[in-house]
Amino acid sequence: MSEVREVARKLLTDGTVRVIVGWEDARRGARPVFVTDPADTERLIFDTRCVHNLVTYLNPRRDNVAELGKIGLVVKGCDAKAVAGLLREAQLTRDDVVLIGVRCGGVLEEAELPKAASLSPENVAPRCYGCDNREPELVDHLLGESQPEPPRPVMTIDERVAALDAQPLEERWAFWTEQFSKCVRCYACRQVCPLCVCERCVAEKSRPQWIEAPPHPRGNLSWNITRALHLAGRCVDCGECERFCPVGIPLSLVNRKLQHIVAERYGYTVSDDPESPAPIGDYRLDDKQEFIK
Amino acid sequence: MSRIGVFICHCGENIGRTVDCEAVTEALKDHPGVAFTEDYKYMCSDPGQQLVKKAIEDNDLTGVVVAACSPHMHEKTFRRACDQAGLNKYMCEMANIREHCSWIHEDRGEATEKAVDITRTIVEKVKHNQPLESIHIPVTKRALVIGGGIAGIQAALDIADGGHEVVLVEKEASIGGHMSQLSETFPTLDCSQCILTPRMVEAYQHPNIKLHTWSEVEKVDGYIGNFTVKIRKKARSVNEDLCNGCGDCQEACPAKRIPSEFEAGLGNRTAIYVPFPQAVPNIPVLDRQNCTLFKGRRKGLAKDACGKCKEACLKDAIDYDAEDTFIEEEIGAIVVATGFQLYSIGREQPEGLKGYGEYGYGEVPDVIDGLQFERLASASGPTAGAILRPSDGKEPKTVVFVHCVGSRDSEKGISYCSKICCMYNAKHAMLYKHKVHDGRAVAFYMDIRAAGKGYDEFSRRAIEEDGAEYIRGRVSRIFRDGDVVKVWGYDTLSQEQVVIDADMVVLATAMRPQDGVRELAQKLSVSTDEHGFINEAHPKLRPVETNTAGVFVAGACQAPRDIPDAVAMASATGAKVLSLFSADELEREPAVAIVNENTCIGCMNCAKVCAYGAIEQREICTVDGHVCGHVAYVNPGVCQGCGTCQAVCLSKSVELQTFTDEQIFSEINALCYWE
Amino acid sequence: MSDAVDTSGAAADGFEPRITAFVCNWCTYTGADLAGTSRLHMASNVRIIRLPCTGRIDPLFIVKSFERGADGVIVSGCHPADCHYTSGNYHARRRFAVFHDLMEFVGVDPRRMTFSWVSASEGAKWRDVVDEAVANVRALGPFEAYRALAPEDAGVAAPAGARVEAEAS
Repeated sequence: MSEVREVARKLLTDGTVRVIVGWEDARRGARPVFVTDPADTERLIFDTRCVHNLVTYLNPRRDNVAELGKIGLVVKGCDAKAVAGLLREAQLTRDDVVLIGVRCGGVLEEAELPKAASLSPENVAPRCYGCDNREPELVDHLLGESQPEPPRPVMTIDERVAALDAQPLEERWAFWTEQFSKCVRCYACRQVCPLCVCERCVAEKSRPQWIEAPPHPRGNLSWNITRALHLAGRCVDCGECERFCPVGIPLSLVNRKLQHIVAERYGYTVSDDPESPAPIGDYRLDDKQEFIK
Repeated sequence: MSRIGVFICHCGENIGRTVDCEAVTEALKDHPGVAFTEDYKYMCSDPGQQLVKKAIEDNDLTGVVVAACSPHMHEKTFRRACDQAGLNKYMCEMANIREHCSWIHEDRGEATEKAVDITRTIVEKVKHNQPLESIHIPVTKRALVIGGGIAGIQAALDIADGGHEVVLVEKEASIGGHMSQLSETFPTLDCSQCILTPRMVEAYQHPNIKLHTWSEVEKVDGYIGNFTVKIRKKARSVNEDLCNGCGDCQEACPAKRIPSEFEAGLGNRTAIYVPFPQAVPNIPVLDRQNCTLFKGRRKGLAKDACGKCKEACLKDAIDYDAEDTFIEEEIGAIVVATGFQLYSIGREQPEGLKGYGEYGYGEVPDVIDGLQFERLASASGPTAGAILRPSDGKEPKTVVFVHCVGSRDSEKGISYCSKICCMYNAKHAMLYKHKVHDGRAVAFYMDIRAAGKGYDEFSRRAIEEDGAEYIRGRVSRIFRDGDVVKVWGYDTLSQEQVVIDADMVVLATAMRPQDGVRELAQKLSVSTDEHGFINEAHPKLRPVETNTAGVFVAGACQAPRDIPDAVAMASATGAKVLSLFSADELEREPAVAIVNENTCIGCMNCAKVCAYGAIEQREICTVDGHVCGHVAYVNPGVCQGCGTCQAVCLSKSVELQTFTDEQIFSEINALCYWE
Repeated sequence: MSDAVDTSGAAADGFEPRITAFVCNWCTYTGADLAGTSRLHMASNVRIIRLPCTGRIDPLFIVKSFERGADGVIVSGCHPADCHYTSGNYHARRRFAVFHDLMEFVGVDPRRMTFSWVSASEGAKWRDVVDEAVANVRALGPFEAYRALAPEDAGVAAPAGARVEAEAS
């Protein structure tokens, strides 16, 4: 991906940024890399293995990253939405970062990372299907060729959500309590999330304690409901929480369900336009209220 | 460790009949943290309150729970009693075992069990109550009144008479507003100028009123009691200190055919002008848009094309190079009284409004609006009070008055009733008939809305004594036909088409808020409705307050208002401001939100949901003064204590005092208290 | 929503639902006061927690209530356009809509969560809301599914009704 390398080299050479955060080749697929020396820009790549949402490094709480100096960040469409989220919530100013946008036609599913580079229904990350931001707008440079729509995976997330929706309440309850009971409360989902920016997470709050700390099913349910609600209308569907979950909780289903809820109720889809107001914290006089007596 | 006293009231038989008060007392006696329990027949009675006070003193209580009626009934009573006994009043809460228990249940067992639950829940809450002190905010005792129409003048006079300084800002060259344009006023037909001019002069000469005409509010910072207002004094080109109002400049001005705004376009003025003879202050303003000199300067002429007014001015008061200046005023309260404008009858319409193509978009010269008729009827107007039609100056023998032009017509963009038109149409019909005895006045109306003292009698007089013909129905078309103006209408009562050959038509156009009111509202953090009228804080109970504490609203900028309404509102704002200014400090309940700066990440989601604009971003610094981030700050002077900020805060970094998370969680836990 | 539920009265096993109600101070709390002054009789299973505004209510209050053994929850505030604080109820409406849909997705029967607007003049409506919520939850039975999530050493979730006897003794 010579374009990315070129832009990165130029930005580092002319001093516009002090560090470029992108991806490099590694044994198990691609991995994030911090490049400060223009010569090292040769290491930068972009292909279907670049699944990581690097915006998590812009989190103002990661001050060791900020200490490196002004950042140039390589972003896919979903990543750019996360940048917009940080801008929307005053966690970043646009001048803090140079965004190198890459046109993206989808990435590989986790299990497929070390291998093939071209996408098929079998290897594509399901969340990429139906992506509405293959060409991020909120960027300083937009690189790469125009990309086709990602292939339709064998089973889409929407289909899986619909299948759950079609089940009776008890079965959904059984499904989710079983899934959440696996949670070990490692909070990897939170740590990797580009939008979980709180300095002190509500999960760690005591006096009063909002969420029971030990990993038992009751506290786990509270944690997972809270995590989901806190990301309602904010989640950019980058899939990192699910990818990092060590026990395999299908968080993308919860995230997608919330996207459906805000889309159906408020016509809202998360975008990379930082000026568009988030649905929670906004209202319309005629919001749907069929559930209210 | 808490030492809470629990006082259970029988309320005579009201509670005791269904709730076993002794059993409740017994159940609470050994509850952790409860140091004292007592039941009594009437806890709110004087001996009851004495009992509470004595128990506080004797037992060194740290909290009090009164299980009795609704807190809406007696919370104040018992908090005061606690205060008198030396216990911080916010350590006292009520458990509602009457309205929410004894009065709605029959089964004594169930009701008693529930009363125990309710009381225990409140005990658990009180364990987490904090002693709080009222919030004191310093108050700058100076008011700003925006708009110098009758409402603004009245508000300014009331506040100034109350002994406080007022800064009155008017965007036009003179105060007086629309009322100064009116001929006579309903329902008494007294001359508008005669009753208004003395008020204008009084406002001008009042030692407590500082008047800025030809000025606008540029910026508003701060909050109730402590606003800083930046005022733009637009370049008048006439030195107000030097000018003596002689009028020589107007005489000298060669540009004499500029349509006069005051005369609603029916008369002319010069480029340097005083809007009307009774203007206050009587100091001209130079209209640079129409001035020959400035036209020349805009064209880039090397030499000024005119200069006659400057030559004529013996006081050397004319300054062609004057620029806008800015002044800052420290203000404690603001009254918004920016008034109204009329729905335009022309082709040009603001967004959302359609205008009346079927009435010729006002292109027929003898179709005029209500304000134009006022000028025709006014003794000081362009015709010296003679009713003469604009096209040829003839006296019209048939005049048609059309009600509800724009108003109550959602199709054209306005759904509301403009309130004053029924009355002024009746007035116009009367004035016309008084001046043209053989004339015919025909009014097309939808409904006659004449609710007000003497109003119905007045509109009846127009019909019954002055012979105005009232036709119930709408006008479908107005057009010029030779010398006459054809009016096609429909009489819905006789169900007949009506065609009238009129000499003149007067359209009662809708009242709309002034241009720029939305921008002003934004500066003041007050909201406007869909039409641009400023929203009051509560339609019934807080009609002259806005959602921004310390900002009040008077007159037609809030909704269509007639003069008595506007004046009443203005005096109401005056009373509000004077009561705010009655103490050096503003005392407020401490039920306000407080931000934990250690955990706040400054996402400002709280500010987005605050209906009062109480939350702002504040920089935080390291010990050496280096800015290292920002957090939210809740201004306790502005916060109203709803707690919506707290619910949206993801990191739980804002707490509403008196309803903290810990208090609520304790209540939840207590409700599900399994033994 | 309630038509599938048997609202005929107490279940045979004497189950009495425990329902926590989060209500705003200005409309619903006052409406409930009016129900009292009007002597409108209603089920005694509901316990009210008074808050300034529905805008103050965090969805986790509801989760907490279920955690602590509530069988049902009511949230009630001012009707749209009547909020004492102008817009708190509008913000609450969005928050609870999302919460309601999410809980349903997770498998919580929405009939355990009643949302309503009850004004200060609607004492009778408050009674109806209470009675309907109690009937719904009574028909659904105790929220054992949620209590079953409790850690074994928590010592929670004695069966409903047990406490009454403990107190009486």
